Amino acid sequence: MSYQLDSGLMGRTHDWPGGKRCVATITIDFDGDCREVGRGETPLGKTSHGRYSAKCGIPRYLDLCDEVGIKATFFVPGYDAEQSPDLVREIVARGHEVAAHGYLHEGWDPGEQEPELLKKSHDILTPLIGHPPRGWRSPGGSKTEVTMRTLIDLGYVYDSSEKDYDLPFTAHGPADRQNKLITLPNNVSSLDDYPFYRVSYTPPSEVLQQWIEEWEAIRAENGFFDLTVHPRIGYGSGSPARVDVVRKLVRHMQASGDVTFCTLEQLADWCIERRDSFTRDWPRENVGGAAHG
Amino acid sequence: MVDGICYVSLTVNLQGMSVDRALNGTDPAKHFGGKAHGRYMASVGAERMFGLFRDMKLSTTVFVPGWEAEQHSDLVRAIAAEGHEIAALGYAHEDYTGAPEDAALLARTHGILTDLTGTKPLGWRAPTGVLQPETLAEVAKLGYAYDASNQDDDFPYRLDADGGAGMIELPQTEMLIDAELYSRRATHQKLMKWWREEFMAAYEERCYMQITVTPRADFGSARASRIAVLRDFLTEITALPDVRLGTCKDAMDAIAKGDLFCRD
Repeated sequence: MSYQLDSGLMGRTHDWPGGKRCVATITIDFDGDCREVGRGETPLGKTSHGRYSAKCGIPRYLDLCDEVGIKATFFVPGYDAEQSPDLVREIVARGHEVAAHGYLHEGWDPGEQEPELLKKSHDILTPLIGHPPRGWRSPGGSKTEVTMRTLIDLGYVYDSSEKDYDLPFTAHGPADRQNKLITLPNNVSSLDDYPFYRVSYTPPSEVLQQWIEEWEAIRAENGFFDLTVHPRIGYGSGSPARVDVVRKLVRHMQASGDVTFCTLEQLADWCIERRDSFTRDWPRENVGGAAHG
Repeated sequence: MVDGICYVSLTVNLQGMSVDRALNGTDPAKHFGGKAHGRYMASVGAERMFGLFRDMKLSTTVFVPGWEAEQHSDLVRAIAAEGHEIAALGYAHEDYTGAPEDAALLARTHGILTDLTGTKPLGWRAPTGVLQPETLAEVAKLGYAYDASNQDDDFPYRLDADGGAGMIELPQTEMLIDAELYSRRATHQKLMKWWREEFMAAYEERCYMQITVTPRADFGSARASRIAVLRDFLTEITALPDVRLGTCKDAMDAIAKGDLFCRD
């Protein structure tokens, strides 16, 4: 639906689950030492950061979610699930969503191997969750038509890897599949911890300010707020100071009274029930190329 | 403190998928996620950014790659119809190395923009910042009046010695290019601090400045939160005495009238 922004411009928004002005999702990309193992590195010394996730970061986020009373989505690479199956079961037991995030955090195009790798992680996660995972996020931020076809064929309903839109939307392709994924965009330029802690080396208090400003701008547009954090040391948000940033952010958002926190799966189901209202104006945007057909 | 008018040009690089295609290849089957940030320009970014300019009654110079003009002709026409100046930004995010094929790309883009708007663009900017004296010579032959690629002066200057016979350089101000900071993942707070400090010091000397923004989410200013930052900054500087914020063409007119200094 269209509506008038505070600035007088026209904006687009939707009704959201919970009936509040905005919807928010806190997503935690497990990213244990699968990332280092996948790159052929030994997870020791300065490449040991990933081991922090299972030992410190994930437990801290589970406690934080209880403390602030929200359910989150945890994207777990298959290899990390193999290493920490009990922890994955605990995430599920505490009421959170577990979704797929590659096997070895393949931050490259796996080419012909990709369908097999997606299936492998799918089969690792399914018994730990108790049902097949329904969502996927690209480990490196990219995907192809092959990825989308494979995910659809495995029964996934949403993807959270796109960066070209602010709101959830129904994917445009692939043309040869009738089912279309719901896309729940993750805006890694501003609402992800990596760029600030590792690219610009910004101190936690200033990152909190950044995310509060993101939230206030999204709130003014009645929008969708998706935060991506990594429970690691280094580029992630696993340490006490940085978990505290997420705590203060969530508290700030809750105090506004304008937001419902839910999992991506819950939001995807909401969108599926109203699929027609989540289409984009593809001809106007002219994304180009028959592959988007 | 120097007296007089402080001329500032507000410029936009209308960069969508032309950048991503140059970096990640042209196969649309791979244009998803991290390889398709550029789609934000046409889906949300341009609408939100030009909405801000409409709201603030600001005219800008919009540097448009020929390829983007082909893909989004309605958008470019709509921008021009709102009174913004349309200038050229190469064809599709290529380096201008003085190669023989450069002349054809320059002419092609010139034709695309002229046909689309009914007016010959006066200004040109190298899309990746890479150009040669031969490039300026070709640009001059096509009749352009100014280039806005260099980052080497506090005032406009004549380009004859650099290959652009009869042309004027309207230099960019490096630290007032949003991509320089946002591509390094600066927070809003950090960008504002940089921009205020750089702007105020140059304003005190009444230097010519160019602000460059991009309607993208990744290295540009089009996210709702960053539009708020841009609004705050533009509101602050337009409230200062003697600041004249306008297009590049406005700066060229001021030079012609002798109001804006231009180095010989």
